[in-house]
Amino acid sequence: MNTIEQQLWDYIDGNLDEFSKKTIEEKIESNAGIKTQYEELLKLNSAFNALDLDEPSMSFTRNVMESIALAPAPVAMKTKVDEKIIYAIGGFFIVSLLSLFGYVLYNSNLSMPKLGFNVTLNFNLDQYITPTVLYSFLFFDLVIGLVFLDQFLRKKFAQK
Amino acid sequence: MEQNTTDLALIQKVLKGETDQYALLVKRHQRFVFTLALRFSKNREDAEEIAQDCFLKAYKALGTFKQTAKFSTWLYTITYTTAMTFLRKKRLDTTSIHDEDTILQLENQTSSFNANGYERQDSHVFLNMAITQLLPDDAAIITLFYKGEQSLEEIGEALHMEPNTIKVKLHRARQRLKEKLQYLLKDEVKELL
Repeated sequence: MNTIEQQLWDYIDGNLDEFSKKTIEEKIESNAGIKTQYEELLKLNSAFNALDLDEPSMSFTRNVMESIALAPAPVAMKTKVDEKIIYAIGGFFIVSLLSLFGYVLYNSNLSMPKLGFNVTLNFNLDQYITPTVLYSFLFFDLVIGLVFLDQFLRKKFAQK
Repeated sequence: MEQNTTDLALIQKVLKGETDQYALLVKRHQRFVFTLALRFSKNREDAEEIAQDCFLKAYKALGTFKQTAKFSTWLYTITYTTAMTFLRKKRLDTTSIHDEDTILQLENQTSSFNANGYERQDSHVFLNMAITQLLPDDAAIITLFYKGEQSLEEIGEALHMEPNTIKVKLHRARQRLKEKLQYLLKDEVKELL
């Protein structure tokens, strides 16, 4: 599909590299047939450039503005996603993981018999894991879940 | 002063709550969006409906527009998908938009303009007539390239095609447009050129 006409169009469109550009320029100069074809395409290109755009009805802008008046105002994505919420959720999970890690660590017996190293961390967490703590934990999870659901529904609504 | 305001500045104003500024964006792009819609629908009423729907969709999704890209390219992508969805719903003439028969029917309708001695009309009329006879994709590519100030990459983005495919399609579209002009104008095509 690399006919002389295609090369001439590429030359007119300015899509050729320096080498190809010089080659086609030489062909135009040396070959009368190619020169005629080039001049014809150049005129055709000018005619295409002069194409008219169609005009919609006079009430077009008004109609669009009337239809958008019923739609919710668009909001930038940056304001849609509040960074504080992301940091709060991230922080919560980091604290949870660290707490779990601490719990496991304090309930383990660290012993290295060969080195005579024996540490028993007898840290009883049961006294802290009360129903109130558990309910608070679940309540916080529920709040986060609702925030996510709210954002998800808002996004769905905005897309419609 | 309003004419100097860039698309991006207007978008930022709309996103900050000045929704009436969207009218300026509509006025700025309505002719092109309407013309592009017309290239697909071949019908002014449908084109107006597509163009309105397109501006409404763009407004609703304005918050998701990446402000590093050209607004026009993004808008033309919406126009293309809206036009495709509209045509699929309407199933125009229950034939494919790529069906050559549809184009042949149009050719027959306009063949009366071919009669010898027919008063010579403005070249733009014939050019626009010839472009309406092209396949929708060809007409859209020609319009985007010559009137939309879009690069091959941007046209590819708007029409969901590779830039190389667009390049080949553009070449073929120009050839077909030239043939349509020759068909419509016979010997007068040389005067036009």
